[in-house]
Amino acid sequence: MFFHIVLERNMQLHPRHFGRDLRDKLVAKLMKDVEGTCSGRHGFIVAITGIESVGKGLIRDGTGFVTFPVKYQCVVFRPFKGEILEAVVTMVNKMGFFAEAGPVQIFVSNHLIPDDMEFQSGDMPNYTTSDGSVKIQKESEVRLKIIGTRVDATEIFCIGTIKDDFLGVISDPGATS
Amino acid sequence: MHTCDLCACAMRVTMCNHGSSLKRNMCPHPGVYAGMCMRCGQEMDDEFGVAFGYIHKKLRLASDEISRLRDKDLKNLLRDRKLYLILDLDHTLLHSARLLDITVEEGYLHNQTDALPDNLKSSLFRVEWMQMMTKLRPFVHSFLKEASNLFEMYIYTMGERPYALEMAKLLDPGDNYFSSRIIAQGDCTQRNQKGLDVVLGRESAVLVLDDTEAVWGKHKDNLILMERYHFFASSCKQFGLNCKSLSQLKSDESETEGALPTVLKILQRIHRLFFDEALEDNLEDRDVRQVNLSQMAECTLSFLIKALVLKTVRKEILKDCKVVFSRVFPTNFPAEQHTLWKMAEQLGATCSTELDPSVTHVVSTDAGTEKSRWAVCENKYLVHPRWIEASKYTWQKQPEENYLVHAKNK
Repeated sequence: MFFHIVLERNMQLHPRHFGRDLRDKLVAKLMKDVEGTCSGRHGFIVAITGIESVGKGLIRDGTGFVTFPVKYQCVVFRPFKGEILEAVVTMVNKMGFFAEAGPVQIFVSNHLIPDDMEFQSGDMPNYTTSDGSVKIQKESEVRLKIIGTRVDATEIFCIGTIKDDFLGVISDPGATS
Repeated sequence: MHTCDLCACAMRVTMCNHGSSLKRNMCPHPGVYAGMCMRCGQEMDDEFGVAFGYIHKKLRLASDEISRLRDKDLKNLLRDRKLYLILDLDHTLLHSARLLDITVEEGYLHNQTDALPDNLKSSLFRVEWMQMMTKLRPFVHSFLKEASNLFEMYIYTMGERPYALEMAKLLDPGDNYFSSRIIAQGDCTQRNQKGLDVVLGRESAVLVLDDTEAVWGKHKDNLILMERYHFFASSCKQFGLNCKSLSQLKSDESETEGALPTVLKILQRIHRLFFDEALEDNLEDRDVRQVNLSQMAECTLSFLIKALVLKTVRKEILKDCKVVFSRVFPTNFPAEQHTLWKMAEQLGATCSTELDPSVTHVVSTDAGTEKSRWAVCENKYLVHPRWIEASKYTWQKQPEENYLVHAKNK
């Protein structure tokens, strides 16, 4: 799920940046440091949308660096247990399939794939229903439910399921009209 | 209707007790992805089950699940009339050498592709970012193409993952043969040992092709041992071989008679024997290791037969000769243990230390010994020891006249 929240961060700036463009430089450094990172609490920081406030700078003892507390607004993405997500399939094998929803990597094991879908190996491994009407393969879009999440420094991993109503393939890239 | 959102088991119950820890404990936890059970999402131990990092770096599977997957996969594979084949890389399918180990004599290998000899144009590769060169073994592309019709193939190397992936790109540019089935050193569960525990195939349907026997300690019956491929000079030194390497001789293994075409025939034979329709038992109950062993036994048997035939033929060479040696063995040396004595006996001759009328040849380097003079007097052949050696190497009794020992001129 996406959220638009306010976060705070202490930014350290080298004296050479002090001058007319101090605030711009501060904002640029913030974007470079923060966009694309992950935290357990907030999830994946997608983009900074604005700066709410920049506090008074404090000179650190013994160095010339100055610390500014910056409050900024940003869009974050964090999956929750029980949430329904749409994802794109990246790999299919006998154990299940891997899918991606933005920076989140999701694994749906074959235990959580409906029983009437069988794994077919070959050039384009896939899961197909017995009548061939539904097929999950690389690049398919699927709707799945998250049943577990794990966050590390730069990536978020999830376990997903499609064994419920209204879950499964949204669009089939191999389908003929 | 209610679907449990704790373990997503999709059980339709009107009143669910899934909030209790009871349901959690009932989940068989078949495997772990990124530290979470792949069926109920529960946080699991980092050391759970067996790591299958080569499929996905965060994947681990429980032994029950591994067995279940193996059984299921075997059914599908047997239906397609295929078995599993594990291939080693170094010295089996290719040979790699670091650029700084390339000798001066091998300098021509640095030439542009157009300037290389024909056989190297499509089989010699320079991997700049790894600072090394790789030579694919002759026939390797045809081998892989043919084998892929009979086997689902894996790469299993003791090299590191980046190396393994790079070699897979050279061997399988179209990603038809291996896909994610590339196992490297980091995936082994035991140091310096390759194991079938990380292969998602039942052991009774797996064949292994490797040039090293020692790393397959637990699975010797699955192994077909390959002749080592040495192209670059660097490994000749490493393995203690004193000869020039193929690259230095500007030569290569035969495209049609080399190790790969030979082993392909063996694999085709084993495959044929395994899927023999005349047998009455179920395919799933058959064991390719037994076929492999019987195939190996047959090879050994035919080799032994050949050796036996040669031994019999050899005994005909000097069969009617009775030989006495004079001043050939050091004194106090037990005559019967001397190489020449044993050689003469292998060639069918009878050896003796004493002279008697049945003696036909006296072997000596000196015409002046008592036995030598006796030979000349009694009109027996007095021959140099080289007569015996020559007869051995030419597989026929040499004319004694060419090896007569004459008295020294006074």
